[in-house]
Amino acid sequence: MLSRLSAGVLKNAASSGAKKTALGARSSVRYASSNASASTVDAILSSRATLASASLLSVGTIAWYTHLYGTIPFVGEVHASHLSDEGLHPPSYPWSHKGILDTFDHASIRRGYQVYREVCAACHSLNRIAWRNLVGVSHTSDEARVMAEEHEYTDGPNGEGEMFQRPGKLADYMPNPYPNEEAARAGNAGALPPDLSLIVKARHGGADYIFSLLTGYIDPPAGVEIREGMNYNPFFPGGAISMARVLFDGIVEYDDGTPATTSQMAKDVVTFLNWAAEPEHDERKKLGIKAVIIFSTLTALSLYVKRFKWGPIKNRKIIYKPPTDH
Amino acid sequence: MALSTTFYNAFFRRNSVYVGTVFAGAFAFGIGFDLGVTKFYDTWNKGKQWKDIRQKYVQESE
Amino acid sequence: MASVHAVKTATTLAPTVRTLASGVPLPSRLNLNVKAPHDAHAHGHGAPGPRTDVQPRWAGGISRASSGLISKTYTSVSPSTHFQQRFISTSVARKDAPEVPDFSAYRTNTDSNRALSYFMIGSMGVISASAAKSSVSEFLQSMAASADVLALAKVEVDLTTIPEGKNVIIKWRGKPVFIRHRTQGEIEEARSANWKSFRDPESDDARVKKPEWLVMLGVCTHLGCVPIGEAGDYGGWFCPCHGSHYDISGRARKGPAPLNLEIPAYEFSEGDAKLTIG
Repeated sequence: MLSRLSAGVLKNAASSGAKKTALGARSSVRYASSNASASTVDAILSSRATLASASLLSVGTIAWYTHLYGTIPFVGEVHASHLSDEGLHPPSYPWSHKGILDTFDHASIRRGYQVYREVCAACHSLNRIAWRNLVGVSHTSDEARVMAEEHEYTDGPNGEGEMFQRPGKLADYMPNPYPNEEAARAGNAGALPPDLSLIVKARHGGADYIFSLLTGYIDPPAGVEIREGMNYNPFFPGGAISMARVLFDGIVEYDDGTPATTSQMAKDVVTFLNWAAEPEHDERKKLGIKAVIIFSTLTALSLYVKRFKWGPIKNRKIIYKPPTDH
Repeated sequence: MALSTTFYNAFFRRNSVYVGTVFAGAFAFGIGFDLGVTKFYDTWNKGKQWKDIRQKYVQESE
Repeated sequence: MASVHAVKTATTLAPTVRTLASGVPLPSRLNLNVKAPHDAHAHGHGAPGPRTDVQPRWAGGISRASSGLISKTYTSVSPSTHFQQRFISTSVARKDAPEVPDFSAYRTNTDSNRALSYFMIGSMGVISASAAKSSVSEFLQSMAASADVLALAKVEVDLTTIPEGKNVIIKWRGKPVFIRHRTQGEIEEARSANWKSFRDPESDDARVKKPEWLVMLGVCTHLGCVPIGEAGDYGGWFCPCHGSHYDISGRARKGPAPLNLEIPAYEFSEGDAKLTIG
């Protein structure tokens, strides 16, 4: 059906185009007298003098423009840039949650939380995650409650109008390592450790980038100067990063006996941060499966029903029966 | 042919039965589809989800 | 050679109608608007309306003038340019384009496919209804309280820190909640009162889950002040704003308060050690 239809449309379009060209050809009939003038124009156009003067004109225009504005026209700025300014592109890692049907590895989230708490949380906040968010994801309700109670929160005002300290509750959000941004900068030589809640979404390359950054600390190559207090990391744009390498083999001890190598810890903490950025991830993919199945089925069915409804109309044959004399 | 006729007579002959079947079917389909997708999802992601590793951390004493 | 001359004979026939000087016949008795006679076999064509064998007036036709019969035809002048051009390819009969298009893809055998068609349409109804239902329910769920609000909506209180005969005020959803650890004497006092004669009759049994713990919203039912504990004429609460008195079960006894103090939803957990409000 479709092929026939499009063929007809094409034919119509082609014939209307042909008509136009035919009309055009008719209106621009050339007579013998015009032939001579055309050849004169051709001769002028193809002469050496024309070529030379046109070249001179364009070179002169460009030169004048360059003289006026200091740059060559129509050519973008040319910079002596270096690839390291962009940072090394991270390789694509086979995350356990990479496929469209794959959930997070929740055991990895649990280990990653441990790495965050013992290593990252010294400098980085996790503002948007509350203790209750861990419940049913990586920790039981009781574990989360105990962890929350280890931290003091300021609450109030109480009956006397005073603020008071109380142990954390499930509804509280993860505590900040620094009271404010200035304190954070002062504690880190002027660099602000970013909040990690949405860091996986906030960086190009996402999880791959953060994994590469955490495991990518190397000595600066020959010729690269790194300031005192900075560290070299080829994946960081510019190469010089204030954060030092923090993950070393065995720096944490996992509950479940997983060997805590640098790459294992990096993988776990990135999985945890990816969960923190996308807590809805597992539900989202499940809903995606459902939506794809439902809507593709509905599409197929509606095509069938459309054919069913249009069949008699398309098949209809209109016959004229003239009145007969008898 | 006979089967389709039986089907037709059972569900499609009266519009009230037809519409009723559609709504009852929608209800049953919603539940069944949910269960099916969840089952597939859990099988596909075996051992990765929280419900798979939960029993390791829950104290049975409480 | 004898020349042969053909004999030409001219005959003038008498005209059947009067002829004008110009030679145009003038039929004075001709009625051009006469209807066709009724024809039993005409199949209903044309009998009442204008004659089908005469072209309509707007298209010209025959009229009679003093100069004779005038036949006019109004036609639109065709455009001088060629809007339709015939190309060689179109003039050749195309074998692959028969006059009747191929509709076999559309042809359904309605008799044998009847059950299938109903089934397909029914299935579409089933899936659409299911999708619509989950859309609506998801939308309604999006209007429910979000998880962070729900997390704050519950408050846990450690009851072991409240000694007998003491009031504790905690904040719950922005409102004060009174928790009183009642003594045995207070319980008896609350129970013995003749509650049926009160303004808002309610027994003490209905107001507490455990007699020693009284949990109420600390908002005066009159105009929303916070009553003062262990005050008033009845040993319960006293509202300083307009002088409402509540007894040791939180029932309105005196003053303008129309209702007893409200009881929030609460639960005891871990034996008697913890109280969860909300």
